[in-house]
Amino acid sequence: MRVTMDIGTVEERAGPRQFGPKDDMPEEYRKAATRMIQFHANSEIMGAYLERPFIRQAPSLDRKLAFSAKVQDEIGHGQLLYRAAENLGIKTRKQMLDELANGEGKFLNCFHYPMDHWWETPMIGFFVDGAAMRRQATLKNTSWEPYAHAMDKICFEEGFHIKHGESILRELATGSRKEQELVQEAFDEWWPRILQFFGPTDDQSTHHDFASAVGLKTMGNDELRQAFLNAYLPKARKYGLEIPEYPRIHEHNDGRYEVVEDDLDWNEFWQVAKNDFEPGVAQIDSRKAAREAVAWVRESMETPSAGSSAGGVPGAAD
Amino acid sequence: MIWEVFRQEARGKYHTHCGNVHAPDKEMALMFAQIQHGRRRPTHSLWVVPGEEIGEVDAEETTFGGTTDKSYRWAMTFNTDEDFAEEIAASQREQEQAERADRAGESDEDEADETATGAEATEEGESA
Ligand SMILES: [Fe+2]
Ligand SMILES: [Fe+2]
Repeated sequence: MRVTMDIGTVEERAGPRQFGPKDDMPEEYRKAATRMIQFHANSEIMGAYLERPFIRQAPSLDRKLAFSAKVQDEIGHGQLLYRAAENLGIKTRKQMLDELANGEGKFLNCFHYPMDHWWETPMIGFFVDGAAMRRQATLKNTSWEPYAHAMDKICFEEGFHIKHGESILRELATGSRKEQELVQEAFDEWWPRILQFFGPTDDQSTHHDFASAVGLKTMGNDELRQAFLNAYLPKARKYGLEIPEYPRIHEHNDGRYEVVEDDLDWNEFWQVAKNDFEPGVAQIDSRKAAREAVAWVRESMETPSAGSSAGGVPGAAD
Repeated sequence: MIWEVFRQEARGKYHTHCGNVHAPDKEMALMFAQIQHGRRRPTHSLWVVPGEEIGEVDAEETTFGGTTDKSYRWAMTFNTDEDFAEEIAASQREQEQAERADRAGESDEDEADETATGAEATEEGESA
């Protein structure tokens, strides 16, 4: 019989793609990895729901098609990640999907905010996907092999999402005066949330130390935020977006950016993180309603002979 | 009974198909797989799967990726620059490679490699 690996051995052996379902990992590792991957999977799903309305609302056929392909990709990313998490033996996919529906499942801060207008879409499609992609590229080297394998496929697909997002941003930023104003308004509103994407600085993040010691994470929040600003701040400027005065961002001589953390609303951030933020709760609930409305599809796939559920009227997702 | 064999070259890599063996049960299949496919090529792990349990659909029965123009889901379609972030450039490179391979009618470059490997391993198995 195999003996459970102790934390010391895990830390010693930690490296890219070093552990898989065959390794008897200590519970602490399996729980930490589950927390991380479940959060990631939930975020893919909630992001997809946020963008789904734009399959209809996009102003041209090309954009509608691209949005439908993108939303399909994101749901697929969620499914890949639930499988990678399930492999850890802590939670089943069903448990994780139920937790997302009942408000226990945590997900990315940016997806707790409603997105109502076309001119907001590059905020998610370019900046948030771009930030996510910075992090995901580093996760190709995570120590949990199934997570790294999921990342291979996700990163393959993401290039399209971000270029599509940038292409919408460029169109709006080079469009009419009105469009330029609207995209600037959207940017003012979303920019602080985007800066909070990477969470608070590392010394305030509770889970970081263990996750990096066992190779689940390979880069800290600060470093990722830095890498994000390096690539995306010049992009915002390129499209004539004015960086809001607050939160202040100091640019040091060595090229490092420093975000003044006190200028950001951390009360709201932690409210969001606990799923207590009202607009976010509304999003969790509307996804739950959509999921319940199409339960009959899942049921009929599992037991094709049963026919439609007794008396129930088959619903649609919206 | 035929067992399909999948080899993983090193920890963390993918198991890829490398051939098949005749064997009456799983244990024997694992042993034959080791002899035929795990001796000369770098091997970290082998999987054996009963051939008859494998489902297949091929390009004669279906059109993978659909029949309509789906260029809207490729990074190359959007003419913004990808070089501002290495991970976007890498993603596009992979997509370009996939598209080229698809046009050339093969799944990817590794496949030719694997076929050659299979032949080599079979010879090795025979001489064992
Ligand atoms: Fe995604
Ligand atoms: Fe995406």
